[in-house]
Amino acid sequence: MIHKTSPEIGGMGHSIKRKEDLRFIQGKGNYVDDVHLPGMVYGQLVRSPYAHARLKSINTEKAKAVPGVLAVITGEDLAKANLAWMPTLSYDKQMVLATGKVLFQSQEVAFVVAEDRYAAADAAELVEVEYEELPVLVDPHKALDADAPLLREDREQKNNHIFHWEVGDRQATEQVFQKADVKASVKAFFPRCHPAPLETCGCVADFSRATGRLTVYMTSQAPHAHRTVFALVGGIPENNIRVISPDIGGGFGNKVPVYPGYVCAIVASLTLGVPVKWIETRSENLQSTGFARDYHMTAEIAADRDGKMQALRVKTLADHGAFNAAAQPTKFPAGLFSICTGSYEYGQAFCEVDGVYTNKAPGGIAYRCSFRVTEAAYLIERVVDVLALELEMDPAELRRKNFIPTEKFPYKSSLGWTYDSGNYEAAMNLALEKIGYEQLRKEQEEKRKKGELMGIGISSFTEIVGAGPAHSFDILGIKMFDSCEIRIHPTGKAMARMGTKSQGQGHETTYAQIVAQELGIPAADVTIEEGDTDTAPYGLGTYASRSTPTSGAATAIAARKIRDKAKKIAAYLLECNENDLEWEPGKFFVKGAPSKSKTIQEIAFAAYTNIPPGLEAGLEAVDYYDPPNLTFPFGTYVCVVDIDKGTGEVKVRRFVAVDDCGNIINPMIVEGQIHGGLTEGLAIAFMQQIDYDESGNIQGGSFQDYLLPTAVETPHWETDKTCTPSPHHPFGAKGVGESPNVGSPAAFVNAVVDALSHLGVKHIDMPITPWKVWNVLQEKGVTT
Amino acid sequence: MALKIEKTFEVPEPLEKVWAFLSDPRKVATCVPGAQITDQVDEKTYKGTIKVKVGPSVTDYNGEVQIVRSDTENHEIEILGKGQDVRGRGSASMKMTGKLRALDSGGTEVVSESEITVVGILAQMGSRVITEVSNIMFGEFTKNFQARLKEASGNPAGPAAGAEVAPIKATSLAWRATKGLFRGKSESDS
Repeated sequence: MIHKTSPEIGGMGHSIKRKEDLRFIQGKGNYVDDVHLPGMVYGQLVRSPYAHARLKSINTEKAKAVPGVLAVITGEDLAKANLAWMPTLSYDKQMVLATGKVLFQSQEVAFVVAEDRYAAADAAELVEVEYEELPVLVDPHKALDADAPLLREDREQKNNHIFHWEVGDRQATEQVFQKADVKASVKAFFPRCHPAPLETCGCVADFSRATGRLTVYMTSQAPHAHRTVFALVGGIPENNIRVISPDIGGGFGNKVPVYPGYVCAIVASLTLGVPVKWIETRSENLQSTGFARDYHMTAEIAADRDGKMQALRVKTLADHGAFNAAAQPTKFPAGLFSICTGSYEYGQAFCEVDGVYTNKAPGGIAYRCSFRVTEAAYLIERVVDVLALELEMDPAELRRKNFIPTEKFPYKSSLGWTYDSGNYEAAMNLALEKIGYEQLRKEQEEKRKKGELMGIGISSFTEIVGAGPAHSFDILGIKMFDSCEIRIHPTGKAMARMGTKSQGQGHETTYAQIVAQELGIPAADVTIEEGDTDTAPYGLGTYASRSTPTSGAATAIAARKIRDKAKKIAAYLLECNENDLEWEPGKFFVKGAPSKSKTIQEIAFAAYTNIPPGLEAGLEAVDYYDPPNLTFPFGTYVCVVDIDKGTGEVKVRRFVAVDDCGNIINPMIVEGQIHGGLTEGLAIAFMQQIDYDESGNIQGGSFQDYLLPTAVETPHWETDKTCTPSPHHPFGAKGVGESPNVGSPAAFVNAVVDALSHLGVKHIDMPITPWKVWNVLQEKGVTT
Repeated sequence: MALKIEKTFEVPEPLEKVWAFLSDPRKVATCVPGAQITDQVDEKTYKGTIKVKVGPSVTDYNGEVQIVRSDTENHEIEILGKGQDVRGRGSASMKMTGKLRALDSGGTEVVSESEITVVGILAQMGSRVITEVSNIMFGEFTKNFQARLKEASGNPAGPAAGAEVAPIKATSLAWRATKGLFRGKSESDS
């Protein structure tokens, strides 16, 4: 267990209030759209109404004639500078502005720059684009048909296939299936959804002709990586690029990719020599920036009659849209989807994924998700429930029978991951006890006799987060380490900077608590700064629940380096041997003589004023942390629903979430993360989908159709925890931000299916709208 | 987005008179809110425009209307209309079949089936809204159709080709469509 510091120090385990909220709740945050620079002008994108069309001509004359318009940039203009295309984070390329043809509705076609936003918007309407419509490919299942239209004419490969990826032993798995007593399967679609952060994407690009420096204020979850991409693509020396990611109003993976709007604003600033601001509208954000999921999955489980699982087989078709703009580590085209074995033991497993192009917005980003772990967790938790139905076994009992036993950790999964630690049964037992599972099953039995519909859904998920070890993980070749630099000032106050970037996670508080824990400097005295590439050490950014596992670890290690130096200073000041000193948070004291001590503040002062001979002045350290393994948070969620037979409406009566993310830095922030993630999971399960009609028109392109949950829809969340520390993390933490979004969809869907299972229902695809449920009820002859 | 709209209505006019009207796109166009025929290409093909405004979104389609089939004997007509928005905001097409039947009352029953495909900004409103908008437009069309027939005995009704026509009074279109949605039936049914 972690030693708990005093409330004054506020180290790990203290629910101290979020330091950043002081400015946020006063409306004093500084977001990209709050950046106003002298002489700044505005950009507006012209977008394609067609999902697939040949670009015949673009006439910009009328737009240029609008008073205040400074420039209209087209794909042809960018092509002259070799910038019409840019690399994606998945070794594909993407059009910045369309040349030749457009490949999805809302694709970027031209960029209008004007002295104010209104002129830019008016002029964008006057850009005349002549299109010739082409056959549209919407259904990914038809992408590989012989008569499917070829979308990517730019590629050497003349079909719509992006990648095939497989892991596990296909033949051995097949053999188990052939002999198996019981088989269960489910075909589950994880719909295309969108993070829809409160703040849309945008930037201010400021190129100074005087200094040759480019400063880009942008909504970036990975400012350092973006700086490198700009340097490599734009040919600007990296020392002349400064990316500043100011306050960010939610990212959830949406702000990991580089978008055409950023590039256009940079090109416009380089061309015009003035700062150029580009801010997306809500619909632009939903329609063109990184979507998530869109996985068409099939899972099969082989088991014996007693319910012991023997093998798992998964086949998935991944719809990536027009460009493969997924943000994935290089070696993992389907991300960490092979965590689909979940919390269970099997003899064999096999998983394969094929990615295809369609005429839809590009992406496949990790929405509050560590690279496809959400899809994987949903699939396995769904198919386990289907197996329970096949076996006529209680789904909790079936899970208990197949959990990886605690004593087997670290556990090597059949698809190759080494799970660091886990105690799955403890988490499930706590969740079941808290919700009163036995009683609820009895109630359900009674209700069924009366014809009432009630269901209980369980999800015992396992995550894989904290990418990642440099031997396996990189993005565009850059290893996925992360960093922290700590400086202790002469008065004992501290400043720490990281390679990550908070988008609402509360880093300014939690990182300060780590420093407080390790050095005893009160968290209130530690200022955290992230997001400025000129000042922060290099890092890969914040997504995939990686901040605590990587930068959090780097913070602890850097602090320990400082503590080592502080010990030398303390020994000098106390005129004793280093080995005679003991540490308690905030001070070194002589063993056996606790009154002979030096506080960290006194030591810091001495580091600048009374430097021991042979030691460098100052008290600071930097650490680049390469985690030895990923971390594997887990938990069990239990959901109870009641279904209205007349309307098909599903009411979540109760929801218990038991999470285990190892040692916790700030319990209040963790709870907040869980509340937020569960609410997003609720929306995905019941409300949200970015759908396309047969012509490629977006059917979820505004908040009119893409629904956000409000307090009205959101049930009361009951949370609890178990604690199984990560054995390899410096302070045993695992990361938590994404667990509730990863684990909850299956709990909701399992609850609905459980309410209808006696009618023969085995699966319903998300989003489970009242209309969908009502139709199922009609089909099954259920009347009020 | 593809929609299918089927409507049946009656006009208190004799069949031959209704047929003469229905089989002339220049006349029919005068009944379509926001539409006008601007040019005749050949015997069966016309050029025209239609302006549709839903809330803040204005779409100005420019295209062609073609009589694909005209069966005078059975009083059936099939018309294909295709247009692109002048500012490149999308396209729309409509295939409409109209069928007339003489009624005992001396009037005529008009049975129409339309398949509408909308691509682009307008289509993002979603099929629920677009169906309602179509219903409202069809309601206006029916009213105009009946009125024109009544007023125009043998008169080549409406303005001549190329003349200015008031666009559909669409400021309230989105609101009416929304009301229709919430009532679960369309404005034109009321």
